[in-house]
Amino acid sequence: MLVDFALIERARSGDDSAFSQVVQAYKKRILGTIARLIGRPEDVEDVGQEVFLRLYYSLEQLRTAEVFEPWLYRLTVNAAYDYLRRQRRRRESRMSDLSEQQVMMADAAAGGKLSEEEQRRGKVREHVQALLEKVSEEDRILLTLKEVEGLSLKELEKIYGVNENALKVRLFRARQRVLKAHELQAEQL
Amino acid sequence: MDRMNRQPLPGNEADKLESLWAKYREACPDPESSANFMPLLWQKIEARRVETTSVFRHMAQAWAVAALALTLIIAVLIPRLQKEPIYSANTYVEVLDEAHANDAVDLLAGGEVE
Repeated sequence: MLVDFALIERARSGDDSAFSQVVQAYKKRILGTIARLIGRPEDVEDVGQEVFLRLYYSLEQLRTAEVFEPWLYRLTVNAAYDYLRRQRRRRESRMSDLSEQQVMMADAAAGGKLSEEEQRRGKVREHVQALLEKVSEEDRILLTLKEVEGLSLKELEKIYGVNENALKVRLFRARQRVLKAHELQAEQL
Repeated sequence: MDRMNRQPLPGNEADKLESLWAKYREACPDPESSANFMPLLWQKIEARRVETTSVFRHMAQAWAVAALALTLIIAVLIPRLQKEPIYSANTYVEVLDEAHANDAVDLLAGGEVE
């Protein structure tokens, strides 16, 4: 826990300054998770604000402060899921869909402004995001939480509200689908 | 957080995927939020609060209009209903007598034919 239970209790009882402190404490972690889940840096803050907005209006439903983190992660997952679904719908109606970051990267690379390290990181991000675009939003989020965020099965159990065995099955299938997409991508290159 | 509970996948591709996740994690560090993050968040919270309040206000107004309309309808209907009395002033026997006034005539008429 990044904050103590008392602070969460105060935020839950309507103390706005306590809520601000909670946001300040979790902001960086949540924005990082969102960035890796959605893969579009220009929209990370918007989705992050949506998460904390939902937190503000649902905090009173939180049973105990102990379950705060899984609760926050669940809100993050839901907001990211909503965003990805909206993006998919939007993408279906558009021909090209380069993120601002991709455009900036391409411009900077063309101008020789990016360091070699930054170019390598950019390629990794592009490659993984292209891979994750080939699977469903559910698979994408579950795999990112497990493989990239490094959440344990116990933590995922609390977030998804399903038992460990069901999660293992879902993870196995999601990994297989990503692996298949990875192989297809490798063949195309 | 542990990364131990992983299902094994066959082949080298699975290993490549594992290392790809690690590289992705490294390539996507936690971003710093902008200075506007908190002010914008509070603006959104406030906007949602106003929106919710206005929804309740609209609902309350709709209820008030419906209640007024119902009151007017009742006010118009009740005097009309009172003009046409539901209950008869006669006794039960009198009402029965009125309803079967022709029965005796029919009987008599039938008898005369014989």
